[in-house]
Amino acid sequence: MAEQPFPGTAQVLAADNAEASPLRTTRRGSQPPARGSEDGKPPPLLSRRNSILSRRSSFGMVPGSRRPSWMLHRRVSFTGLPIFQPILKTRLENTYRMGPDKGCKFDAERVQRVLEGTLACALGTAAYSPQGSAPLAQSLTELLQNQAKEVVPPRYKLVCHVVLGQQGQQSLVVGSRGLWDPETDSFASATFSNVSLFAVATVYGVYFE
Amino acid sequence: MDEFQTGEEASFLVDEVSSIIKEAIEGAIGGNAYQHSKVNQWTTSVVEQTLSQLTKLGKPFKYIVTCVIMQKNGAGLHTASSCFWDNSSDGTCTVRWENKTMYCIVSAFGLAI
Repeated sequence: MAEQPFPGTAQVLAADNAEASPLRTTRRGSQPPARGSEDGKPPPLLSRRNSILSRRSSFGMVPGSRRPSWMLHRRVSFTGLPIFQPILKTRLENTYRMGPDKGCKFDAERVQRVLEGTLACALGTAAYSPQGSAPLAQSLTELLQNQAKEVVPPRYKLVCHVVLGQQGQQSLVVGSRGLWDPETDSFASATFSNVSLFAVATVYGVYFE
Repeated sequence: MDEFQTGEEASFLVDEVSSIIKEAIEGAIGGNAYQHSKVNQWTTSVVEQTLSQLTKLGKPFKYIVTCVIMQKNGAGLHTASSCFWDNSSDGTCTVRWENKTMYCIVSAFGLAI
């Protein structure tokens, strides 16, 4: 038992009763620090505590009053305070990696080819409409992101940005700049246009340390 | 035991970033009408100004800032983005701005390292 007690057990241990001391040591044994599931069975000692609680509550409560939800869950301590299940944060092992493996960098040309192909397939026969183009743009970003995920090496975060507009007599400029590590991070972009609409798609790949 | 807890200062605050972007746009193209010759310069200055202000926040983030400037001519425009990242630490902020002659949409993405 080298690890610190979780907040829940600390609360229980702090609320000390004379009758708690013989139970405290056994309770520590029955509540292992690394509990996998939140719905684990409470140790058998709790049932004894619950019976004490129900007696207490019948004295203290006005009939017809609402009990707080945690009292009904039977996970309470001697004092009537709730024991909250500790939230287990998964600790990932240190990979000791400083950068991507050699040859495993964001391949901008490959991603650009994928983008161009996907845009041509998806928008080949599409026409611009004010109602339909908004969901089309959203579905297009998700599609492009899924396509890019397959081509991009692991440990890369992706941002996929699509601009979809009606083809008219206007001009448009799309510019972007990033603050990143130029050796590992990059972007790829592709454009598509037909008679009624145009689309500009950009995918940024950022290495996650 | 390595416990690198991310504190309050290492989260993407949307309001803060949104105000930074608005200031950058106002500063660069505030009272101007659309001019084709100047648009490139405007997008560059909006993006650079936003990025330098974001850097000054001093947070452990990588940033991507995108700017779209379109002339108002009756045509429709949609932008969308989807991101493959860690929802708890990364964030995005998009600001739409317009005046009588043009639309400007700036998106800033922050990815935690």
